[in-house]
Amino acid sequence: MAKSVNQKPLPLVALSTGFVLLWLFLAAFPFIWTAWGSFKVEADFFSRTDWMNALTGPATEAQTGSRFTGDGYYGAWIEQGFWKAVVNSTIVVFCVVTISLTFGTLGGYALARSGFKYTFWLLIAALIFRAMPHVTLVSGYLLPFFEMNIWGYLPTTIIVLVAINQPFTLWMLHSFFLTIPKDLDESAMVDGCTRFQAFRLAVIPVMWPGVVTTGLFSFLLAYNDFTVTSMLLSQENQTMIPKINSFLGSTQQEGKVMYAVAAAVSAMAPLFVLVMVFQRQIVSGLTAGAVKG
Amino acid sequence: MAEMHLKNVSKRWGNFVGVDNFDLHIADEEFIVLLGPSGCGKSTTMRMIAGLEDVTDGEIWIGDRMVNRLEPKDRDIAMVFQSYGLYPQLSVYENIRFPLKVRKAPKEEHHERVMRAAEMVELTDLLERRPAALSGGQRQRVALGRAIVRKPTVFLMDEPLSNLDAKLRVSTRAQIKNLQHKLRTTTIYVTHDQIEAMTLADRVVVMNKGKIQQVGTPTDIYDYPANTFVASFIGSPAMNLVNGHIENGVFSAENIRVPGLRTDISGPVTLGFRAEDVSLAPDGEGELRAPVYSMELLGEASMISYRLGEALVSIKAPKDFRIEIGDEVGTHIPAAMCHLFDADTGESLRLSE
Repeated sequence: MAKSVNQKPLPLVALSTGFVLLWLFLAAFPFIWTAWGSFKVEADFFSRTDWMNALTGPATEAQTGSRFTGDGYYGAWIEQGFWKAVVNSTIVVFCVVTISLTFGTLGGYALARSGFKYTFWLLIAALIFRAMPHVTLVSGYLLPFFEMNIWGYLPTTIIVLVAINQPFTLWMLHSFFLTIPKDLDESAMVDGCTRFQAFRLAVIPVMWPGVVTTGLFSFLLAYNDFTVTSMLLSQENQTMIPKINSFLGSTQQEGKVMYAVAAAVSAMAPLFVLVMVFQRQIVSGLTAGAVKG
Repeated sequence: MAEMHLKNVSKRWGNFVGVDNFDLHIADEEFIVLLGPSGCGKSTTMRMIAGLEDVTDGEIWIGDRMVNRLEPKDRDIAMVFQSYGLYPQLSVYENIRFPLKVRKAPKEEHHERVMRAAEMVELTDLLERRPAALSGGQRQRVALGRAIVRKPTVFLMDEPLSNLDAKLRVSTRAQIKNLQHKLRTTTIYVTHDQIEAMTLADRVVVMNKGKIQQVGTPTDIYDYPANTFVASFIGSPAMNLVNGHIENGVFSAENIRVPGLRTDISGPVTLGFRAEDVSLAPDGEGELRAPVYSMELLGEASMISYRLGEALVSIKAPKDFRIEIGDEVGTHIPAAMCHLFDADTGESLRLSE
């Protein structure tokens, strides 16, 4: 009996491994294709003669003398000022995450610990606002923003993004706080803490996975948002996503579309890094409360 | 160190009455146990003392301070929770030190005080561990250590043993008793386990449905229950209660006739007696004669039960006594060991001496 009892039959192992590999390939293909192609010229990446040109790059070699070129990146970042969009994105994302986490933890904690019935209705109201399409909110905001002369600035966009994001953060953190036993803050208060100290010293340290997970979702919302940023920001204040879109809008000019490809790859890279760094917290955050009673 | 006074304390949520007119003086250094079934308001009473729950009516005095409006941290209390309430991110050492830290006790004293507390609860070997790496009993000892590291006026313990297994419960119980004896701090202890109440308390407060049923020493409560609720809650097995009539000092009901009781009352009453106060009678005799309903071996005794109407009556017999279910056996019930309760109110009909 050398074989362990847990050993699965070989065909099953082969099938499931094959399936996972296939899925992985399908999921990763667009990203890899784009990342590889971003170092080619337009004639290769969008070649009409042979799709293999995007991989081998004969036109790239003919035009630049090398099989890979950074022209797309140079054009996007320097010529077209994509770096400014990166700075803007950073500001917007940082502010949105910080503000919504601050309100979210405080509000979620208060709602989780309050014994009153209105908490339920507050959360339901939050859910309804969250369920609305973003664009309906934006169209309502547009006119007042023009009239108040605050259209096109980053702070305006940050406020709108926080408003859209807040219900979700509140929900998510609220349910995290519910999984933390009340005894914890109560014993902290008896031990000599004020309500706020109990929150800061006893509850928040236990909450990190929840805060990180919620923070990541807020980050993704602000980072990937197109509806709000494209309508509320002026040309010079654009964040990355509307900027990439504006590159795509100018495909008539030779090479411009490669700027979009390069910029898209640039926008993707930080997301990979982020998920890698926080993967442990994210996993424990996503599953928290699922197993422990 | 201080005495306490709870003056007509009540707690209501809308129409629901959690605690009704709770009035109690607690002497300095006294060990008070609040005992009752779940939902009787004992925990709510303790949480009001701790300041974790608002008081609807009445006043709570600790020493010469009225604490109704004070935050928990300003009441100078320490509390041990049923689920321990330890800080999972801190080591045992830091958990015990936490109250000193937030209360800004002089830094140079911290180490000595933590070590002294850890020694009293026998945790000195585990100081670097996180709570997650401890057993239930050890966790509860950390919670105890955290409570005693300061010198609070009052200890509050909310069912501290109910998450422990039976064996550990006995040893931790002894440890708590010993700690309180050493520290001489006024202690209020909440439990639903009458054995804990009997073993630990100087005085027991029996509660039901938000009301105090009886306050007294464990012996008092055991020997002279104030009403049928206390009688049926204290003791294992609880006191036997039989509904019947009394006439000319003779209590009678189906299969049971007890003479020699007080003659000044007549009418429907409830008769109470404890399993260990009665004995088996020789053949054909006994105040109680009925077929045996069940027979259980306890080791140190045999327990026989009868079915009298709705009531199940238990009798302790010698440990080598054996009988078949359904066979008849008589029991001798001495009148002196009997309690009489009002059939309607359940109040004890004991003559006031």
